[in-house]
Amino acid sequence: MRYQKALKYLVTFFCIITLNFFLPRIMPGDPFYFLSSEQGEVTVTYSQEEIDRFKAYYGLDKPVLAQYGSYLKGIIKGDLGYSIYFGSDVRTIIKNRIPWSVSLVLLSVIIGGGAGTLLGCLSAWQRGKGSDKVLYGIMVVISEIPAFLIGIFFLFYLAARQGIFPLSGGAKPFADYASWADAVLDIVYHGFLPTLTLSAVQMGGFYLIARNSMITVMSKDYIITAKAKGLSTGRILFRHALSNAALPIVTQAFYSLGQAVGGTLLVENVFKYPGLGSLMRQAVMVRDYPLIQGIFLTVTFFVVIMNAVVDILYKKLDPRIT
Amino acid sequence: MKKSKISKLFAACVLTIVIFGMAGCGTKTTEKSLGGTGEQSAPLVICLEGGDWGFPSPFAHYSRGPGASKMRLIYDSLLEKGEEGLIPWLAREWTISPDGREYTFVLNSKVKWHDGKMLTVQDVKFSFEYFMKHPPVSDSLFIDGKPFIEKIEVIDESQVKIVVKEPNATVLDRLGIVRIIPEHIWKDIDDPKKVMDLDKLVGCGPYILTDYSQEQGKYRFQAFKDYWGRKPRVDVIEFIPVSDPVLAFENGEIDLLDVPPDIIDRYENNKEFKILKSPAFWGYKLLFNMEKKPELADINVRKAIAHAVDVDELIEKVARGAAVSASSGYLPIDHIWYNPDVTRYDFDIEKAKELLNNKLLNLVLLISDSQQEARIAELLKINFAKAGINIDVRAVDMKTRDNCVKNCDYELAIIGHGGWGRDADCLREAYAATVARDAGPASNVICGYSNPKISQLCKKQLIELDEQKRKSMIMELQKLISDEIPMLPLYNTIDYTVFKPEKYDGWVHVFDHHAVTHNKLSYLEQDKK
Repeated sequence: MRYQKALKYLVTFFCIITLNFFLPRIMPGDPFYFLSSEQGEVTVTYSQEEIDRFKAYYGLDKPVLAQYGSYLKGIIKGDLGYSIYFGSDVRTIIKNRIPWSVSLVLLSVIIGGGAGTLLGCLSAWQRGKGSDKVLYGIMVVISEIPAFLIGIFFLFYLAARQGIFPLSGGAKPFADYASWADAVLDIVYHGFLPTLTLSAVQMGGFYLIARNSMITVMSKDYIITAKAKGLSTGRILFRHALSNAALPIVTQAFYSLGQAVGGTLLVENVFKYPGLGSLMRQAVMVRDYPLIQGIFLTVTFFVVIMNAVVDILYKKLDPRIT
Repeated sequence: MKKSKISKLFAACVLTIVIFGMAGCGTKTTEKSLGGTGEQSAPLVICLEGGDWGFPSPFAHYSRGPGASKMRLIYDSLLEKGEEGLIPWLAREWTISPDGREYTFVLNSKVKWHDGKMLTVQDVKFSFEYFMKHPPVSDSLFIDGKPFIEKIEVIDESQVKIVVKEPNATVLDRLGIVRIIPEHIWKDIDDPKKVMDLDKLVGCGPYILTDYSQEQGKYRFQAFKDYWGRKPRVDVIEFIPVSDPVLAFENGEIDLLDVPPDIIDRYENNKEFKILKSPAFWGYKLLFNMEKKPELADINVRKAIAHAVDVDELIEKVARGAAVSASSGYLPIDHIWYNPDVTRYDFDIEKAKELLNNKLLNLVLLISDSQQEARIAELLKINFAKAGINIDVRAVDMKTRDNCVKNCDYELAIIGHGGWGRDADCLREAYAATVARDAGPASNVICGYSNPKISQLCKKQLIELDEQKRKSMIMELQKLISDEIPMLPLYNTIDYTVFKPEKYDGWVHVFDHHAVTHNKLSYLEQDKK
């Protein structure tokens, strides 16, 4: 049974990396030809001879299947190739950005997820009353506002207007930190608004899921029993109800974590935060095949791993699931 | 139990937030006090909008965007682009043989590399030879995809002679802008694209790169104290990540802003700020594919389309006033060889209808997914419909559009690019159908068009070494092109750059480029003459 599951994951993984390889190559255009540029920008446009030389240099002149073969071989060896546009090792590029993206998402899932779940529980407890209605309304609105709008609001209000937070970046440029604690504080300071923005976005989703799930559980007989036993509200809510309503919340949490790599794009753009989302957008824009493959591989890896973790956790949370 | 745990967790969260907030405020204060440059003795640090444009070696910066300009701060060339034209730089003088095949450059003496070694003529020879073997990102040593240098000779310790295969009017420009790199660093490097070490970035230019971060998009350049030439006025140039340039400028994080036209009045009539208007060297053009749509080969149809474009409306509504109408002869109004007497096509729907003979025309207009192009396309669509030209707008991503244009897979296309201030040979690249598709964003993209008169004149100007004669040919060429309109230049954009002169006011535009931050003259003392 367990092997079957592992095999399933392996097959999924293989299909995805194959798609990763072929999809970018189906897109029209190649990594070297730029005819136009964005406003105010200048580009270098290469002649066909020069493009052919580049293609030979990056091995793109070989038949596609041969390229596919060396791509698979590379993956097995852990070699993701060399980025055409960025001119450096794909592994290094991704490795330098992952900590920024992952910590942003991890923190926002913890903060947003925690707050959302808590409020969802309270809302379910107060179901139909004024406070529930108000909270529900607010949360529906928050969950529907695009992340970048919330981000821009924070940027304008908290960073530009109040000057409490920095306008952009992941750390103070060219800072000379006296100690590692200073460095950490600076990174936290710069990451605060992006995290807050993502947390706000996460919170709405978690709230709605937690509330729904809790409402279902609250009507169960054992909750009535618990109430009849005279247990405290907190104990009923968090001990008896939440643990039984946790499945969808946990799914949501790991789903969000799986999105760590690409899901922060809009927030990264607003705050010029150094994450993988904006890198992915750029890689696709310039048709940097090795980098697109590398990033999508990382995304795949994250999603598959998170799914596997959820599978395992499900069984722990609800022994009825096989 | 559980409840108390959760409340503890909550309290912890709140506490963390408070601590972060306080830490933030603390850092902010230090930042401010460090940033203040009120005292005169303090080094002049100029902060500019950054973003990652690649490791600034001649081989590794990105082909798009201002990566090349950062690389040029580190590396000097034989000549430099000045405000009016090419100016002597590493070469203090040069001669061209009467047959136009031999270029002799006399180098300045006492030029030092950043590592203290002296620059020699051999380094110059090496640079050219190395670039021919390992082409840099911005490569000027190829014409139509082919190398044009025959050989390079060292004459004595200060002179170098470059012999080219055939006379060509663009050679001086092409040789002059080649970066000179140190032989002692690069001679053993076989794959220069992979070189990413700061200590390999030894140039003889006015600035040394001291810090670069790809993921954060920041660069820090420090003035080279033994620089041979004009003294750097700016001690440190920092390119930093910026989320919103206007906010960053207002907050004092950056010292220069390309101000959006809608808010320019905020800085006008204010002594604290100075506004520079850039030459209009970036622009949009409308391409006609006469191969796929033979109707477009009819000159009257092209003229009708030209009369159906309300350029003033485009400039007002899309460019928000920050643009000038493009010349139908291609070279824009700010180009040193612009011909003001080209044929113009005013917005006149009736005339367009007349030229079309009241025929109806159905065309597909290909654009990229940029907002500006979508707006242009929508406005064109409305006016074209009035003239009896129905267009169907198709928006794709930039690379797809470029690829379609390259493969002649479009009917009409809008394309935007820079470099309109380049040498007038760009006319040949764009309009002379005999040229292979190649170099330059303006290169041969008019499918199915050929005009022997234009092609001939294009070729003739390329080998004309007498500047005045060549200039008059270019003037004639623009007139011919404007009569034929094989493609329709729409408008050229203007940048308004605002800065505080009190902090630094050395910003200049060079003759062929639109951005003050992209040329090294902006950071150096002005010529004393």
